[in-house]
Amino acid sequence: MEPRGEVFVLGLVLSIIVLVISILISIWARRFTRSIGDYYVAGRSIGAVNNGLAMVSLALSLTTFIGLTALIIEGLYIAVAVYASFTASFIGLMILAAPYLRRHKSFTTMAFISERYGSKTLRYMSVVVMLIVSVLYLAGNLKGIGIVFYFLLGVPEIVGIVVGGLVVTLYVTLGGMYGVTYNQTFQSIVLIFCLMFPVAIVLRALGTAGWYFPPLGYGDMVPQMVATVPHYFLPMLEHPITYIAIFLGSFFGIIGLPHFVMRFFTVRDAKEARWSTVLCVFLVGLVNTTVYATGFAAVYYMNTAGVSIPAAAYDYMVFILVDALAGDGWLALAVAGSVAAGLSTVAGLLMIMGAGLIHDVYGELKPEVDDEKKLKLSYLAMFVVGILVILFSLNPPEFILKAIMWAFGIAAAGLGVPIVLGIWWKRTTKQGVAVGMVVGTLIGFLGWIMIDYMGMNPVNIPFPIFARYLYGPLGWIKVTVLAVTFSFILTVVVSWFTPEPSIELKRQVDEMHGWKDYDEKRYNSKILPVVIVALSLFLLFFMTWEPEPGTFPRMEGQEWTAE
Amino acid sequence: MKDYKLEVRVTLICFIIVAIIGGFFSSFVVILNQRFFDVVPTPEALVQFYGETMFVFKQNLAVMGFPLHYFLLIMFSWIGVTVVGAIWCIIMDRLEERQRA
Repeated sequence: MEPRGEVFVLGLVLSIIVLVISILISIWARRFTRSIGDYYVAGRSIGAVNNGLAMVSLALSLTTFIGLTALIIEGLYIAVAVYASFTASFIGLMILAAPYLRRHKSFTTMAFISERYGSKTLRYMSVVVMLIVSVLYLAGNLKGIGIVFYFLLGVPEIVGIVVGGLVVTLYVTLGGMYGVTYNQTFQSIVLIFCLMFPVAIVLRALGTAGWYFPPLGYGDMVPQMVATVPHYFLPMLEHPITYIAIFLGSFFGIIGLPHFVMRFFTVRDAKEARWSTVLCVFLVGLVNTTVYATGFAAVYYMNTAGVSIPAAAYDYMVFILVDALAGDGWLALAVAGSVAAGLSTVAGLLMIMGAGLIHDVYGELKPEVDDEKKLKLSYLAMFVVGILVILFSLNPPEFILKAIMWAFGIAAAGLGVPIVLGIWWKRTTKQGVAVGMVVGTLIGFLGWIMIDYMGMNPVNIPFPIFARYLYGPLGWIKVTVLAVTFSFILTVVVSWFTPEPSIELKRQVDEMHGWKDYDEKRYNSKILPVVIVALSLFLLFFMTWEPEPGTFPRMEGQEWTAE
Repeated sequence: MKDYKLEVRVTLICFIIVAIIGGFFSSFVVILNQRFFDVVPTPEALVQFYGETMFVFKQNLAVMGFPLHYFLLIMFSWIGVTVVGAIWCIIMDRLEERQRA
């Protein structure tokens, strides 16, 4: 894909303004940081509105801004299904985990898993999973910033990755969680406006009647779209297990994504944690439905204007569309919004990586070190992590959404399952969690390890009945079903056959749910583990179901095709 | 135990609703249309790109111009789950007050 041609001054100016304001906010917020608790969880003083907006900017990364449009061009309805699940998953996160995690008073996901199950080993294991997930997520987002810079200036993506990475490293290091939170609030507002307005103008240029409200403004163009792309709204493109994989990846993945969970440790109490999520899901839904409109406009434009865009350039489509149909001013807004979107997510990820390394690893290995020294080390660690991530991101995956959805699956199996069971089933043991975490995470990598890395032929890999879920179209989503179900089954079964946890560990469950007294019967029913195992086995059985020929033509045609 | 049961039941019901309308809905469209709409997908029934006869989508069944299943998916996964989440929050706020008392 060729860059835009000349240096886009207006977009560059707006982007620089966003970057400078972000650094200034961090410098201002630094005055609030006096202890390690302030640095990592903002003194647990953030309110519902502030936290809700900060979560919005975490959720609306560059995946949403540019990756989803690319996915809609490729996958049409299934891309919308992915994001429908992603939007709804925030309420799943709230119902299953958010307020309970806040009551637990941990700093990080890894600390929660370690303290809930009484195991230092689990802390180190979950730090490893967190690093894998965060790096995958970060690489996708930094690549997105590179794409913006390439389109704007014609400079290689690597320049954007380095500049964007350095700016975000600087403001995260300076401002800690206070800086990150206030920055994310600012960036949320920026990116909502910078997406909604340019898309409205694009829809107006295409001739839609309801352009002023993009989420629902393109209904009158459905007949033209169906005439041009007949299958745009048709859902049966894949085996139903794909949709179930999306559900599992979204709902348990978001619970396992440590930078989302960390936001709940920053709020004042459980009530604020709940209501901040409701605000977040409303705004995330507003933006996601706007991006569905962008995807609709992109597909319609490509098919009616005779514009040919190579598949490798789909990530640029938002800018191409706004440039062609809206003009420079709106394109500048879209660019500034995408810079804000990329920065906010990268900031949240750097924060959790720094916290994981200093609080969860160094703090455990050297418990005698005082908080003041840990705080100083945190500044250093955050800076070093930022530099390392920039270096890692220099060779990012081809499509940014692929890396991020992959991260979701691994997070779901490796961290989401232990968190959910730790909150809702007292009988869960550290041995069960260790086995489920290791196997679930490894399965998440299985397709890549066996086929991409070891060079195995897909038709010869073990358990061929499951092979199609490790590779082929959307393999990076479908493998989530295997990873999550195995993680659930192993965690429950191993927990059942290992010694029961102590009363002190089980008491945490009652405390997380707000009970002052302890009752052995609460959250200790046999029904929950039985239902979880039964549902997981059913899903595994369902995966082996061979549909009638012709039911899922896309699967049959592309079963062993590399993406 | 009364409050505990209330918490678990309300949480379970809300989670199932959110899972269905947000996550599984698109899958249900796929699975249920064969079961309840009595349409057997055969190669003959397929028009180019898996034609309309296989799907819940019917040309005259539209809301604000969108095919019904598409409209329901995007609205349920946005406004629907927000409302369910708000209801769950209100119930949990009250339960928390009772726990404090």
